[in-house]
Amino acid sequence: MAGFGKTLGRAVTWPLTLVARAVDPPLRVWQRWTGTGGMAAVFLAPNLAIFGVFVLIPLVLNFVYSMTGGTGILLDQRSFIGMEQYGRLLECEDYTRRITCREDQFWTAVTNTATFVIFQVTLMVTVSLITALILNRNIRGRGFFRAVFFFPVLLSPVVVGLIWRWILQRQGLLNLITVNLGLEPEVWLNDRFYAFAATVGVSTWAHMGFYTLILLAGLQAIPRDLYEAAEMDATPPMRVFRRITLPLLGPNFAVVLVLALIRGVQIFDEVYVLTGGGPGTSTLYLTQYIYEVGFASILRNPGLAAAASILMGAVLVVLTLLQLWFSRRAEGRRAR
Amino acid sequence: MGRIVLKGITKSFGNAEVIHGIDLEIGEGELVVFVGPSGCGKSTLLRLIAGLDRPTSGRIEIDGEDVTRVSAADRGLAMVFQSYALYPHMTVRQNLSFGLENTRMPKSEIASRIDEAGRMLEIGDLMERRPTQLSGGQRQRVAIGRAIVRNPTAFLLDEPLSNLDAELRGTMRAELAQLHERLATTMIYVTHDQVEAMTLADRIVVLRKGMVEQVDTPLGLYNQPQNLFVAGFIGSPNMNFFRIRATGGSAELPGGLKVPVPCDGEVTIGIRPQNLKLAVDDAPALEGEIRLVEALGAETVIHADAVDGTPMVTVLSGQPALGAGQRIRLTFDELPHLFGTDGMRLNPH
Repeated sequence: MAGFGKTLGRAVTWPLTLVARAVDPPLRVWQRWTGTGGMAAVFLAPNLAIFGVFVLIPLVLNFVYSMTGGTGILLDQRSFIGMEQYGRLLECEDYTRRITCREDQFWTAVTNTATFVIFQVTLMVTVSLITALILNRNIRGRGFFRAVFFFPVLLSPVVVGLIWRWILQRQGLLNLITVNLGLEPEVWLNDRFYAFAATVGVSTWAHMGFYTLILLAGLQAIPRDLYEAAEMDATPPMRVFRRITLPLLGPNFAVVLVLALIRGVQIFDEVYVLTGGGPGTSTLYLTQYIYEVGFASILRNPGLAAAASILMGAVLVVLTLLQLWFSRRAEGRRAR
Repeated sequence: MGRIVLKGITKSFGNAEVIHGIDLEIGEGELVVFVGPSGCGKSTLLRLIAGLDRPTSGRIEIDGEDVTRVSAADRGLAMVFQSYALYPHMTVRQNLSFGLENTRMPKSEIASRIDEAGRMLEIGDLMERRPTQLSGGQRQRVAIGRAIVRNPTAFLLDEPLSNLDAELRGTMRAELAQLHERLATTMIYVTHDQVEAMTLADRIVVLRKGMVEQVDTPLGLYNQPQNLFVAGFIGSPNMNFFRIRATGGSAELPGGLKVPVPCDGEVTIGIRPQNLKLAVDDAPALEGEIRLVEALGAETVIHADAVDGTPMVTVLSGQPALGAGQRIRLTFDELPHLFGTDGMRLNPH
């Protein structure tokens, strides 16, 4: 049995040994020539290649596309038009009235996304924090509840959208319950307010487990002694939360805020499946606008979609830098 | 103020009982040290007194009032934690004032208490620093300061010096003793370091496996240990033990030295290493072979095996010319400690 295990082990490692033997001499020469810095470059190279092919080149291409016109997909079918696409997106007669903008759908999507982000991030952070605080307590079945709250994170966004559409549609589960309770059925997803609330609620439900986990890790890193010292000092629970828990949770909080903000701006899949941007354009968010302009509409305009995505990227970069600045300042203040 | 009484205290975690019915009285202004090996229940007992844990049964009284079910906040006690438990995001001043602000004390009163504690502990110039900017000793002072400003009925100190280096520990130990003298407030001090216990305590409570083995003054414990555990735990190096069968009112140590014993049968003879000295004549002595010699300058610690194989240690003053492998003959002036088969003390001493 031991002999068989040894043979199996050799069979598995044999190809690796061959590769190792083949790359060893040139790597030794390379290390002698460039030192350990050069070796680091060798090990980073595969990752950099993947990053280059799948992130950097598309990013540059996207920027190039944003300065081209026409409906063709291939670059040689498109004409260079400079910053015209950006001008088209940003041109308005009166910035307080969307209808006067040349690309009013873009502004609708921007307004919808901003509203969505404000509500969704606030709700997400609040609910995640409350859930983390509850799960951090010594409650019965804590492990089970942690798994339950994290479970939606494992679902594909399309599945999330389908589940909730099945619940919220005209003949869905929710209406079945309301009818059984003797109430009038509601057309949830055809109502502007309910549809918006559904997108906020569903995306919060789908992602809160992840943020709860980050906050829970932060809560568990706060030494128990600090709470016991506060208990000896007769500190009321709200003051403990405000003066001890929240400040010490700061770095985790900043991470959660940045990630929730970025994902909020990028929201697409579950909302597209759930409401399709409707009713009308009431849940049309920026990523869906980009997708529809670039690929789905009859008069597709990849250049305009690329310009919109560049603008969205710029906003995300600014938001991220702002958040990082805030969190570093907070950490610096704590260290002083 | 500050009399603490424990009556039949037990504590269980699940099915495991870790404190088995402890009765103890701590007098007003007394400094009592809980000492014992790891896992003996000393910190658990302190947490029960603090109110951070609830006893499974029994009663805790502070100044005659039953506080068993009273919350930690309402017991009027202050605790110094092993980790110091300073709030890392607050300055020293904020750390000191945090507990007082909870009581809605006037700001002027808070400021004056902080200034007084700052002067007493010499941390006045550290008030605007955060704990990360302080040394271990300074953090320790701030932790003590946080307890002092509350003007508590009693201080509870959970291994407060264990995170400091040996030199600083010695300094802080002396400062704590002075502080206790100045404040004259009851202090309960938990440590596993018997030097701390011996030097600081008015009385020491020796704990083992959740039970009190002996309560006495430091010298009382050293001179009259009531059982084998206390005899072995208190004193450094540990007491030498010889299990011998006594007949005719005496027991013969390895080598032929006889010790008077009040009863016949199996006894354990305990001799402190400091009480042994080199035998100078040919009279019967405690004999053995030297295994290791530790020359410390002012004194020499000799590890040897008695002729019957029992390990023994002796501390001789000066620098005797002895080496490993040599025969050694020892004797003593003081009557040794005698313990029966149940491990309890036989002689009144």
